[in-house]
Amino acid sequence: MAASVAKSRSLPGLLVQAALVVIVLALPLALDPYGYPLFVATQLGVYVIAAIGLNLLAGYAGQVSLGHGAFIAIGAYATALLTVDHGWSFWLAALAGVVLSALMGVLMALPSFRLSTWYFAFITLAFAQVFEKMIVEWRGLTKGFAGVVGVQPPSVFGHVLEPAGVYWLVAIIAIIGFWLVNNIVHSRFGRGFVAVRDAPAAAQAAGASPARLKLLAFVIAACFAGVAGAFFAVQKTVVTPDDFTAEFSIFFLLTVVLGGLGTRWGPVVGALVFFLVPELLTGLESWRMMVYGAALLALMLFAPHGLVGAARSLFDRLRPKQAAQPAETVPPEAAHEAAHVERPAISGLSLEVKDLRKSFGGVVALGGVDLSVAPGTCAAIVGPNGSGKTTLLNVVGAYYRRDAGAVLLGGRETKGLSPQQIAGEGLGRTFQTPRLLGELTVLDNVLLGAYRRERASLAGTMLRLPGAMLEAAQLRAEAMELLAFVGVADRAHDLASETPHGHQRLVEIARALMGGARLIMLDEPAAGLSLTELDRLEQLIRRILALGATVVIVEHHLDLVASIASHVTVLDRGAVLASGSPQAVFADAAVMAAYMGERALNDPPAGDLCHPRPAEAEGA
Amino acid sequence: MDIDILARGLVAGSLYALVAVSFNILYRPTNVFNFAQGELVMLGAMIFASLATVLGWPWYAALIITLVGVGLLTLLIDVVAVAPVLARSQHGTGWVITTLAASLIIANGVNRIWGPDPIVVRPPAPLTTDTFSLAGMTVSAYQIFLVLLTIILVLAIEQVYRTRQGKAVLAVAEDREAALLRGVNPLRLSRWSFFLGGAFAGLTGVLAAPVLYASTGLGPALLLKGFAAAAVGSIGNNRGALIAGYLIGVTEALGAALLSPGYQEAVVFLLVLCVLLVWPHGLFGRPFARTV
Amino acid sequence: MTMVPEAGHTGELLLSVENVDVGYGHVGVLEGVSLSVRRGSIAALVGRNGAGKSTLLRAISGLLTPSRGQIVFNGRVISRDKPHVIVAGGLLHVAEGRRLFRSQSVDDNLELGVYGLKLDAAAWRRRLARVFELFPVLEEKRNLPAGALSGGQQQMLAIGQAMMREPVLLMLDEPSLGLSPLLVDQVFAAIMALQQAGTTILLVEQLVERALEIASEAWVLQNGRMIASGPAAQIAASDELRAAYMAAH
Repeated sequence: MAASVAKSRSLPGLLVQAALVVIVLALPLALDPYGYPLFVATQLGVYVIAAIGLNLLAGYAGQVSLGHGAFIAIGAYATALLTVDHGWSFWLAALAGVVLSALMGVLMALPSFRLSTWYFAFITLAFAQVFEKMIVEWRGLTKGFAGVVGVQPPSVFGHVLEPAGVYWLVAIIAIIGFWLVNNIVHSRFGRGFVAVRDAPAAAQAAGASPARLKLLAFVIAACFAGVAGAFFAVQKTVVTPDDFTAEFSIFFLLTVVLGGLGTRWGPVVGALVFFLVPELLTGLESWRMMVYGAALLALMLFAPHGLVGAARSLFDRLRPKQAAQPAETVPPEAAHEAAHVERPAISGLSLEVKDLRKSFGGVVALGGVDLSVAPGTCAAIVGPNGSGKTTLLNVVGAYYRRDAGAVLLGGRETKGLSPQQIAGEGLGRTFQTPRLLGELTVLDNVLLGAYRRERASLAGTMLRLPGAMLEAAQLRAEAMELLAFVGVADRAHDLASETPHGHQRLVEIARALMGGARLIMLDEPAAGLSLTELDRLEQLIRRILALGATVVIVEHHLDLVASIASHVTVLDRGAVLASGSPQAVFADAAVMAAYMGERALNDPPAGDLCHPRPAEAEGA
Repeated sequence: MDIDILARGLVAGSLYALVAVSFNILYRPTNVFNFAQGELVMLGAMIFASLATVLGWPWYAALIITLVGVGLLTLLIDVVAVAPVLARSQHGTGWVITTLAASLIIANGVNRIWGPDPIVVRPPAPLTTDTFSLAGMTVSAYQIFLVLLTIILVLAIEQVYRTRQGKAVLAVAEDREAALLRGVNPLRLSRWSFFLGGAFAGLTGVLAAPVLYASTGLGPALLLKGFAAAAVGSIGNNRGALIAGYLIGVTEALGAALLSPGYQEAVVFLLVLCVLLVWPHGLFGRPFARTV
Repeated sequence: MTMVPEAGHTGELLLSVENVDVGYGHVGVLEGVSLSVRRGSIAALVGRNGAGKSTLLRAISGLLTPSRGQIVFNGRVISRDKPHVIVAGGLLHVAEGRRLFRSQSVDDNLELGVYGLKLDAAAWRRRLARVFELFPVLEEKRNLPAGALSGGQQQMLAIGQAMMREPVLLMLDEPSLGLSPLLVDQVFAAIMALQQAGTTILLVEQLVERALEIASEAWVLQNGRMIASGPAAQIAASDELRAAYMAAH
């Protein structure tokens, strides 16, 4: 799927969008101001507003909620009750509705922190059913089945709005909403949402809290739905429980899926098709559900990214094929240039691990491990598969909770901190299998690393305030610089999913540096690299060390380890087998027996195992 | 406390447990929650009701046709809506939408064929829904039969998983790749599981009909309560589903008695939510916790 | 760099991997890899971690499909066959990491080893006896869940599981992983016993020396390419082997 979060800055794109805005705003001039088509158009606008919010929640943040109708209902009922029964102005009532809806959003978000995605989906479906009944049960508040009658259109400066006026109000809000969400998607929040959806561990490594991001997504979606609900009440003039059945919520999700989850135009297209098509096929009213079902089935089978996604695939296929990408290895010029990129010094952190223990079920993964890394040095952790190396990294980073022992980062105990908090303390990491956000560009992936550093508020981001924009531009420039530093600047605007493996590792390293990491943990960075890439990796690590950062590297590649590490710890079955300088450790018989087999015991001295400088003769 | 609540709760809970078991049967080899499960149970009820009550067929004939019919339809769901999505990506989640879509199609189709009026189904003699007094509770022979049969069915399904095919399904559920390397064909097992799970759902519908009335609106409530029983009882664990089913059924009955019937859904929902928040994998833990 | 896809001896080729490219999505792992195994022999596949050894085994057993080249087993092209079909043809892969069904008993795991085969009681007992003869500890723990066994016992069970099927070709991925030296001896003895009884073995091992001691031929994989092959003794002394474990420039 082509870049869904990439901006289309092209002039034709902007012109088309401008034309659409003009058409949308000019519509009432072409239609009968009191006619049904205008009513339908306004209704469509209301649905688009709600759909935009749900698309952010379910599409970008990946929280599939089957109970979105509840938010709309709250907005609608609040507006209706407050204006009809208590004489509030529409604007205040709508505001109250939005606030209440947002509160409900907070409540709905809480289970999402604990439950897996599908349990959560069922819970939201159950909630929709319960909510449907509760509206009726609380008839004291909601007037039960009879509903709230007589909702008046809003007034502006004392004039009650005509249908055309309501349409314009809705259309303008929809357009503004679209723009706001678009701004959010292209900001650190948008990157954070995608990270929560696709690679939560990467989000944490970048200092983002998945729980907070989910909360934010829910609240934003709820606010949009609350606004939609307020206008829903105005349009229908009567608000009854029948409007907010569980089916209504499901249909809403289906709308967004139809258009394309996680695409910019998805909610608009989806609402248009889902809503307008039945209006045009009024004869087939009783077949509607079946048609919806069949259409959705067909869609998921043949066009899983919705109509927008299908259109994009078609478009991509019709475009002339780009020239085949050059060989997978990074061109040597990039490496040469990378060596000359200047970066500010980094104040490396120390790491102390004392008697660290971790078991899974009955299996001991770490049985009392000690490790000591001085700031600005390179420490390597080696050992056979299953010896606990990655577990050690994960416990240090707090992705697993330790059973016992101490971990001091820069002299400070990290007990009880979450992974994102530890990231904020200056710990960066890469993963054994690169955790990149495939649908975003390489540059966006690096920018994710700056999540915690970026200071711009949500409001500033949404409204594109100068301060936020300036900061974003600065970070963008810095990210480009880091990409040059690691040697993949030429791939900055490619999708991460289409970048070769070797590059992906470098991008992860750039992401960690972007976060201001003062101690970087590299988990088997050499795996799957070609000789040239290996060389480049070694040079990069040297340059990072030269800046002053501390590097902790888990590796199988003893040659690389011998070359760059000043200290090696050998793990075997969760315990430290040997610890010391590479020369000393690799000469240790027990180490070699555990790791390499007896041959090394009988063989040439340790000098061969450390990679000699190129000028020296090779080992015998 | 009215002890009838207990009786009502156990009966309803038995039905929820049965739906949960049919969920588990489908889930095991595929890791898929079938959103159409509720409608399949309802379909079982409707087919049986039509054949037995409306057309006057003998109950065993109607039962067999129902089981096979719903089983085949569920198999169709696998072929059309689930397998293609899983083939694209083992961890894909499009099946949520496709099974949801299937549930819409079935619900609408059933509504068109049968209409909204419920059909009364009488259980075959000597079981009746006439109530009598037993240990202070007002129960019917059919209700006792239902509760006992549910226990028997849960145990019977456990036996299925002791057969070689059953063990193969468990193997696929635990480690799909390792199962592949031992010569297991997960696709074939999925098909069989969907058929079996579908037939079981149909059976649940048949058993539910005398108690709940065969009507087209049954689906959504059974879907959610069945899922709740499966999740609270730890998905894949059939005995857990049984106990969780009772728990939910009794809570529901209590809620209806102490508060108003309208609140019973809310009470159950809150119970399930609280349990899952404390024990995200259900009360009985994960059956196979893979070491890292 | 020597590139020798041919075997050193005459003898029927049971498995022939011909110039395959294998990868995951966009990530290419193996490029132009060839390997062959003679019937009745033990072949060793060595190379450092990340070289692609496991990936090659997975391509042979059908978990992955090569994007180029083909794999021929026992006269049939199996490159695109599904894993269960390949197993039915007598090619078994014991994956690394002791991939057992931990919640099921030792007996059940062994039974799953012959899934799909119709065995009468006598045949079943005979095969089971063979496994227990080689690994007596498994008989003691027959009814325990596999998860309750120690690492070494689990490895034995994994091999036993495959033995139950009396494979024509058995591929073992790092069977010595995490085992004490004594257990490693037992496992290697078992491997040799299997070969003497007629099973062809393709062995991937971290304990390079041990593997080369019992193998007749060796194949050296580095960074997704086969860089050397030949008689085991010759490979054991070769520069390519050193190179594979320490990347020389």
